[in-house]
Amino acid sequence: MAVTITIPTALRQYAAGKATVVLEADNVGALLRGLVEQHPTLGKHLFGEDGRLRSFVNVYVGDEDIRYLAGEATPLQAGETVSIIPAIAGGTR
Amino acid sequence: MLTFNATSAAQLAAHAEATYPDECVGLLLGRLEADHKTVLAIYQAENRWAGQVTLAANDDPTSRRDRFYLDPRDYLRADRAARAQDLEVVGVYHSHPDYPAIPSERDRVGAQAIGGPSFAFVIQSVRAGRAAELAAWLLVDEGARFEQEEMTVWP
Repeated sequence: MAVTITIPTALRQYAAGKATVVLEADNVGALLRGLVEQHPTLGKHLFGEDGRLRSFVNVYVGDEDIRYLAGEATPLQAGETVSIIPAIAGGTR
Repeated sequence: MLTFNATSAAQLAAHAEATYPDECVGLLLGRLEADHKTVLAIYQAENRWAGQVTLAANDDPTSRRDRFYLDPRDYLRADRAARAQDLEVVGVYHSHPDYPAIPSERDRVGAQAIGGPSFAFVIQSVRAGRAAELAAWLLVDEGARFEQEEMTVWP
């Protein structure tokens, strides 16, 4: 089923400048793998060396963080929007 | 190149003064043409730092005076607010209370190599409660360093 995935501005340089990508996938893991297949350089920004989603990278299905759903096994419905959202932190001292 | 409209720059300065002596954080909404970013609005987020990530050995989970955390849920809200106005998130801002508008090593670690030419890191320095200099930076070399970006504010 076709699902829309939104790419944050800071990662679009690794996705041929695209703001959204539409892919066929039944769950979040398959969707992310499909995205990385199309745009390989996105891979190291999304996944750590252990193959797991990096801690600063968050994936939302609608309004829900997949960490509070079924992670990469979270099922997707046709027409759903999946968002990749970075966390950003910093500090002076 | 980053261009601010004067209203957004003034709102950003006011946000940084309002949270002083704590750091503030928010997102820059605007238009992106090639790598030229025009900021037309800001999205004021809450500094939700509570030690969610490790930035340095001396992290204090209670200190928002020298740490900030932009929660991804706030980023998602800002992204939706931007799209509703036919704008995009073109960068992030935070304040440096009594510290120059130069990115720190914690800022570099906390950006997690997610940056590049289309995403600005703007820093508002605040001294003794009053907004001081504003500067824009780009995260370059795969996240290895920040480079200052040319910035203008138009009236």
